[in-house]
Amino acid sequence: MGKILELEHVSKLYPGVVALDDVSFSIEEGQVHALMGENGAGKSTLIKVISGAIKPEQGTIIIGGERYQSLTPALSKEKGVGVIYQEFNLVPTMSVVENIFLGERIGSKITPDFKKMREMAREIFDEFGVEINVDEMVSELTPGKQQLVEIAKTLTRNVKLIIMDEPSASISVADVKTLFEIIAKLKKKGVTIIYISHRMEEVFEIADVVSIMRDGHYIGTCAMKDVTRKELITMMVGRELNESYPERNIPKGECVLEVEHLYGNGDRDISFSLHQGEILGIAGLVGAGRTELAKVIYGAAKMDHGTIKVDGKTVKIRTPHDAIEAGIGYIPEDRKNEGAFLEFPIDWNISIMCLEKYSRRMVVEVKKIEELVEEFQKKLGIKAPSIKQYVKNLSGGNQQKVVVAKTLATNSRIIIFDEPTRGIDVGAKQEIYQLMNAMVQQGISIIMISSEMEELIGMSDRIIVMHEGKLAGELEKKDFSQNRILEYASGM
Amino acid sequence: MKLNKKFSASEFLRNNMAWVLLAVCCLIFGVISPNFFSLVNIINILNQNAYIIITALGISFIMMSGEVDISVGYAISLNGVVIALLMTKFGMSPVVAVIVAVLLGIVLCLVNMLIAYKLKLQLFMATVGTSTIFQGLAFVMTQSKTISNLPPSFKIIGQGYIGIIPIPVAIALVLLIVVSFILNKTYVGRYVFAIGGNVEAARLAGINVFGMKIFIASIAGFMTGIGAIILSARLGSVTANMGTGLEFTIITAVLLGGVSVRGGEGKISGVVAGVLILAILSNGMQLARLDVYYQFVAKGIIMLAAIGFDVYQLNRRKKITIKTQGGKENIKD
Repeated sequence: MGKILELEHVSKLYPGVVALDDVSFSIEEGQVHALMGENGAGKSTLIKVISGAIKPEQGTIIIGGERYQSLTPALSKEKGVGVIYQEFNLVPTMSVVENIFLGERIGSKITPDFKKMREMAREIFDEFGVEINVDEMVSELTPGKQQLVEIAKTLTRNVKLIIMDEPSASISVADVKTLFEIIAKLKKKGVTIIYISHRMEEVFEIADVVSIMRDGHYIGTCAMKDVTRKELITMMVGRELNESYPERNIPKGECVLEVEHLYGNGDRDISFSLHQGEILGIAGLVGAGRTELAKVIYGAAKMDHGTIKVDGKTVKIRTPHDAIEAGIGYIPEDRKNEGAFLEFPIDWNISIMCLEKYSRRMVVEVKKIEELVEEFQKKLGIKAPSIKQYVKNLSGGNQQKVVVAKTLATNSRIIIFDEPTRGIDVGAKQEIYQLMNAMVQQGISIIMISSEMEELIGMSDRIIVMHEGKLAGELEKKDFSQNRILEYASGM
Repeated sequence: MKLNKKFSASEFLRNNMAWVLLAVCCLIFGVISPNFFSLVNIINILNQNAYIIITALGISFIMMSGEVDISVGYAISLNGVVIALLMTKFGMSPVVAVIVAVLLGIVLCLVNMLIAYKLKLQLFMATVGTSTIFQGLAFVMTQSKTISNLPPSFKIIGQGYIGIIPIPVAIALVLLIVVSFILNKTYVGRYVFAIGGNVEAARLAGINVFGMKIFIASIAGFMTGIGAIILSARLGSVTANMGTGLEFTIITAVLLGGVSVRGGEGKISGVVAGVLILAILSNGMQLARLDVYYQFVAKGIIMLAAIGFDVYQLNRRKKITIKTQGGKENIKD
């Protein structure tokens, strides 16, 4: 069998990061080729290069025997590439069949032939062996079924290569099984599949070969049968796993936060407690309601029912302002849209939450704020030529430090980190971890929502796991294991 | 180094575009007509446009917070009509009328804001509706007739002088100082920018977004109220469409002044320059004896140019950022 796709010396630069650095490798036809790497390793960028969504600065892409400097989405489609992104590209208010044939012309020049479309759609699903009513509205389907619609979309064309970006991240365990059966069927038909996933067991189950990426570099490709999990992890992380999380030895203190029977924002009956000097991890799949929970506690979403106690006293939190007053801080997962003010300087950002404290009769005391910000810059190691630098010009890690400083400036004693290291390179991750440890040392208590298993296990003292808006389980440090967490998270 | 220099030069131009443009306009019209630079003409221009400057100061609060209000012209008409009727038909004293005008200005702006908030609309869409309502009400009240015979003590506000400075210009100056103080020195001013820059981040930072919107609408309403008083007093009579088209002039001026359409940026001095650019264009075109209707064409072109420049600068800055950042990374490797 030949090579369906080859990349030669492909590089892609983004502000502050080299997303792909001289990447060369090839995909054999008819195989299931897994692509692994930590968050920010460059997998998503690589897909975008192959799908024509972005142009690399350097390198050559050889597809179907022809050489290109860069692809366009149309050209990539024409060459038989289909992509299933983590976020679905479906129109929720249209039916399954309309979504499958969106943008394609079946029928006469003017009027579409819906009957034919329906038949074609049914054929695809029959072949998969799944039951989907093709006239149903896409918004009515489960995420798993929606994903099948995405796959069906690619199959209306003569597709040769399907790229799946973390297809199992947001669907249930049963749906994952169906997905694997479909992948096997597609493989039998001769379709090549690039399968991106964080989950070891999945990759070992369905992939023929695996390629590893790390920090924008291509590390290597191995046949699945010749490689162990441990070797894969070492390749991905580039070091022994247990080295990457700084040690911490702080006795558990008083209970600082108690959440009792909390309902709201899609979550039901959640109770847990947080002790001083503790990092409490919250695990769960995408859509399990973790961010939703954080927003209720922080007053950014409405609580229908329940009590929140800080230091044993019930507090009423209706707005983020109330939460800040109660000593609770929240560092959002979506740094660019919820955390930072990108179009403003560092000092402006760090001071925005504590302005009232640093003002005399409404007038902002610029000198005092500059002192405060310079102190934070030193303490957190924010790398920038000056505190007047615009935040959008900083790297992801430094942006995150600015957002953390913004919350620390309010003297919060309980801080909820939502995906603290998303989109941050490995070096900066270490700094964030050390920062979290330093915070704990100073008596701050932390709740950490994370989708990175290693981070959860490495950093937390205790982990609670959520599943579909409910608490599914709790684990003490000695019982931590990826399997246990995944079982709880999948509702098993 | 070269890149840095270029960057800051373009940054300077961007921050002071309105003043540079204003200087260019002055030079051109100064050459075309010798009367342009006379003290009488300059004071005249300022006097004629003081009410626009004041209203634009208010509207720039709204635009800095990321919204657009197109009802301001009709709000001014309605406001003028109401106080003129109160003074001529019901014998209300000018002092009370001034207070009523200010309060009515605030109420109209709050109505816009609350409709947008409750219906979860952009302010722009809400004001598309309310501007027609305001206009309709103004015509209903006046029966399309001009209301003249405003009390002389009221007219002084628009026609009087302090030394050689017209009262409207003096009021505009005071309000300019107040507004720049609020925006640049107080924390409330920073909150305005924060909301314009990123509403969700502002909310999560504990800023009371709804409260701030009420504050912003009140300031804008206060300013339109004052604008309505000065315009009515200067004209000495009021019609139901005296403010028509003002929203367009104001939005263009605010954009020219460097307040971004996306909110979150802006210098208040630029807004003043923006108003003056448009004023000088129409004044200069009159002095050059050009047909009045060409002014509409010219204003439209200028508005598009201002928006285009804004967008162009944004894209350019993005590209520059990528280049410099990418370059740094390469060196490190």
